[in-house]
Formats: sequence, structure tokens, C-alpha cells
Amino acid sequence: MTIANYKLTSGSSWREGVGGVLAGLQFVICNSQLPFRNLCSLGLLALCLGCGGPTSSLDKPNLPSGAASSVTPSSVIAPVAVTLALNWFPEAEHGGFYAALVHGYFSEEGLNVTIRGGGPKVPVIADVASGVVEFGVDNADKLLLGRVQQADVVAVMAPIQDSPRCIMVHKSEGIASLKDLAGRKPFTLAMNTGQPFAQFLMQQVDLSGTQITSYPGNVAQFLLEPKYGQQAYSFSEPFVAEQQGGDPVCLMLSELGFNTYTSLLITRGELIEQQPELVAKMTRASIRGWKKYLAEPDETNRHIHEQNTQMGLDVLAFGVGALQPLCLPNDFAAERLGTMTAERWHSLASQMTEIGSLPADSVKPEAAFTLRFVTEK
Amino acid sequence: MKRLCSGLISIVLPPLALFAIVAAAWQWFVVAYHVKPYLLPSPLAVGAALIRDAPLLGSAVLYTGSAALLGFGASLILGTLIAFAFSQSRILRSSGYPYFIFLQTVPIVAIAPLIVRWCGNGFHSVVLVATILSLFPILSNATQGLLQIDSNLLDLFRLNNASRWQMLTKLRFPSAVPAICAGARTASGLAVVGAIVGEFFVGYGSKRFGLGYLINSTNDQLQIDRLFAAVLTSTLFGIAIFALVNLASVTVLSRWYDGPVEHRN
Repeated sequence: MTIANYKLTSGSSWREGVGGVLAGLQFVICNSQLPFRNLCSLGLLALCLGCGGPTSSLDKPNLPSGAASSVTPSSVIAPVAVTLALNWFPEAEHGGFYAALVHGYFSEEGLNVTIRGGGPKVPVIADVASGVVEFGVDNADKLLLGRVQQADVVAVMAPIQDSPRCIMVHKSEGIASLKDLAGRKPFTLAMNTGQPFAQFLMQQVDLSGTQITSYPGNVAQFLLEPKYGQQAYSFSEPFVAEQQGGDPVCLMLSELGFNTYTSLLITRGELIEQQPELVAKMTRASIRGWKKYLAEPDETNRHIHEQNTQMGLDVLAFGVGALQPLCLPNDFAAERLGTMTAERWHSLASQMTEIGSLPADSVKPEAAFTLRFVTEK
Repeated sequence: MKRLCSGLISIVLPPLALFAIVAAAWQWFVVAYHVKPYLLPSPLAVGAALIRDAPLLGSAVLYTGSAALLGFGASLILGTLIAFAFSQSRILRSSGYPYFIFLQTVPIVAIAPLIVRWCGNGFHSVVLVATILSLFPILSNATQGLLQIDSNLLDLFRLNNASRWQMLTKLRFPSAVPAICAGARTASGLAVVGAIVGEFFVGYGSKRFGLGYLINSTNDQLQIDRLFAAVLTSTLFGIAIFALVNLASVTVLSRWYDGPVEHRN
């Protein structure tokens, strides 16, 4: 359940509308673990009573998250409602999770999953850690950054083995590798410098002559300027750039040795302790979804396209093709999909410590992930 | 001297006391309820981040500050000049003014990426965003000031066959200075906001970062204590610019006029 749902379902008069929004707000606050939640609910309750909103929904006790949204006949066992928060607008990197939804794998496990689309600055880690949502999708570096700030988030499944993160440049410039970017002048590089991959790149390659600017979120500037590179995911931006007449080529960050797990399924440690069977169901269905997505993506892609019309069906089809070798590299057996290794987590943590993203010895990489749900049959 | 000191204390002490009370309550809240730092850092953590990041924040203030000051200066000159033109012709005024209102209402975050596309990356684009955001208050106040002239004085100038130029420089502009100063005070804060917003979209170079960049990147890294430190620095810097412009306008006004009512003895 989301605030938006509340808004849509509440009645036509402005009073009910206000009540609905407030109730939605209260929902968010009650489900977050902020210490003042009771105080806030009281305040909002008073407000709603004052403006004649739908008070009935507020008379309910604070049910555990999700449970309040499903009103079903008592004879049927209600599916457990959970929310999965994405770190970006729905796209191919989330394909397997959508496949589990589209093909009914979630409901076969007795889960009623709502997938919440993301975007720039969406606080997935904070929302998962504080219990606003039960599950989230984010990258390994973000997860470690969150753990340093005492956000108890844990990765339970990694659908994409090799990172699609790359720097997209023009073929005509003849840049063969990321190392070749050193000493180029004039050259503009658009990337979110706050992100660890960018800091790793800046540490490994001498970019002192390079103009570094914010990631614009599209490829317009790339198409205009030949001496220009930008951060990209190999399954997305290059296709768009090529379609618009550009000549993109991807320089993979993983070739430089920075290989973060991408689109991890994450949850909070507390939920793993308290409801391991829920996490197991979610993980199982997601892995099935990813296997299905890599084999037969069309139906899922149509659904993603409906959710995010900006993502054309052709981009999504290209995306799955580009994800294939990243999800299932050469020597990687298909049944191992979803697994992770301690080495990878350790090397990421030490790289991030080296570039100053993480204070020394601030996180234990082995606490950041668990394999118990991936290996569980 | 003694009176001045006690006056100063009565101005400075109450806000400082309130600050101490709020900070103490905030610290207590964070500690007592075990609020995690990714949701809300304690004031002590913010203070520590402020000290740790001081060199970084200092250089960021220099970049953002020069962009804001240049943008402010440009809008002060540009706004006054356009207002001169507006005061001379009714047609010019009624046809042009709506478009400057447009400049005020256009969401700057929406057009900032366009400015980058058209004008390129770098310092000048940040200055341009700061100028656009701070232009309107000066233009609107200056236009009003140039038009609202004491009709007796206007008649006096007309009786003496004063030229348009003489009317503008000897009557309209001097009478408009208080209004321009009022516009400048509003514009100074907006120029800082404009520079920071500009830096969300524009970079200066590989190792040169403004406050907008720091706000963006600390947020990306979930370092909320450093984010608070950067926001706090931006706010204090905005206040400093505002105070500076205020001081300048009081000085200017007290030389030519009795000054705004609140500063009159």
C-alpha cells in the first residue's frame, strides 16, 4: 500500500482527500521505525478527526506492515503483502523481479508483492533499514555505505554477477580502455562523483585535465560532443545513443577491477531473524523470475514498458541481451544464479576503503550478505 | 560603549540561547531513542563533520561564493539597466514585463540542464543560473522605484524643461535607489540558491567542487552528517551574503537619505 493508492481510493470530497493523504502519511510513519511514531500517529489522528477524514482506518491498531492493506474473507488465508522498492525507474536490470510478478511466482509463494519504482535520490537503503518497505533492490556499494551508517541491510540474492557499470565514449575517439582517459584534454566526463565507482576511477586514472560534471540522466550531451564520456549501464544508454545516431563504446569498470554486485535483493537483518520463511519465499520466487526473464523476457518486458513508457520495448529487448553474459558469465552454471562470494564482498570493501568511501575496518563484509536463502531448496 | 555592548548582548544572546536549547533537545532525542545516523545524525556528529570537512567546505564556499557574487552583480546591473528602459516607454514595459515574470516563475531545476546544454559546462553556466534566479526582484523593484516619483518634483523638472536624460539621472534614479536596495536584499539570497542549484548540474573540473556538489555527493553516499554540515555551511554563507548586501545598502542609503525607517535615528 502506498500513499498514492490511498489518494486514489479515497472519496471525492476534499476532506476525505486530506484524510486519505494523512492516513497514508501515518501509514508510512507507523511502518518506519522512527521512535516518534506513536507521537506522530496521535498528532495525525487528531488532525484527521479535526477535518472529518475517514477515521475508521485510523481506529485500527498499528498492524505490522502490509497486513493492514489486505482485507479478505476470513475463510481464505490472506497472501502476505510486501513491497519491493527499486533503486531506479523500472528497466531491464529489474527484469527478473518483474518476471516473478508477471508469471505469478510471487503469488505461488503466497506473497502479494507491490513493486515500487525508483528514480534519482530514492532512499532504498534507508527505507529497507527502517522497515518502510520489506525488500529493496540496490547495488553492493550502496549497501556497504548504508551499513557504515548503521543501516542493518543485508543482501540475500545477486542476480547479476558482473557489473554493467561502464563509461560510454565515442568510438571515433579511439579510446580503447579506461586507462586511455588519462591526460586527455579537453575532455568532459559526466558521472556522479559521489559514487564509489567514480572515485575508484579518479583514483586509478589521472583525470586532472578532465572536466568532470554531473551525470545528466540522458544521452543528449553525449551526442553533441565528441570529446565527452558519461557513466552508463551497458544494457541501456549505449542502445539509446546508437539509436540516435551516436557511435557509443563501453569501457567496463569491471575491467579496471571494480566489480560491484548490481540489483541485489536486499532486506533488513531483523526481518531475516524474525521471518526467515518470508525472506526464503521472496528469494526463491525472485530467482525463478530471473531464470524466466533471461529465457523468455517478452511478456515481462511488455509489463515493464507499461510501468515505464519511457523504456521502449526495443531498449528492453537489447537490455536482456546485454544482461545475459553479465548474469551468466562463461564458466558460471545457470543453477547458481543468485549466489555471491565472500571474496567479491571483501575486495569491494577494501577497494572502497582505499578510495576513502569507507573508514578503515568500519564494515564486516561477511555481515553484508547471506547465502542461506540462495542455497536453501 | 557600555550601552552598545549591552545592546549587542540583547541581540545576540536570545537566538544563541534558543540554538543551544534546540541542539541539546536534538542531541537528547537522538541518544535517548537510538535514532540511527542514516536517518538523523546528532548535532555533535554534525559538528564533528563540520570540523573534519572544514578545508573542503572552505574551498567549496569560495567557488560557490564567487559564482553567487558574480551572478548577483550581473543581475544588479542588468536589472537596473532594463528597468531604465522600462521607465522610458510604456509600450516597452507592457510588452516586456510579462516575460520577466516568466523568468521568475520558470522552475530553475527544469531549465538548468538546458542551460548546460546551450552554454556548456563550467563556471559561467553556474553564474548564469544565479543571474537568472536573482534578476527579477531587482528588475521589479527598480522599475517600480523609477516610476513612483513625487508628482510635485516631476512638475518642477518639467517646468524647467528638463530633458529625459536629466529626469532619469537627476530625479528617477536617485529616487529609485531605496527600491533597488530592497530588491538587492532579496536577490542576494536568491543568487546563492541559484549558484547551488547550478552546481547540481554543472561541474567546475576534476578536483574543484562547490557546495552544490558536496550536497549532492554526500547524499549519494548516505553520509547524512556531512550532508547536514554542507547544508549548514550553505545557509550560513547565504546569511553572510545577505548581511553584506544589507550593510552595503544601509551605507549607501544613509549617505543620500535618512535611510529606511528601521535604520533612522
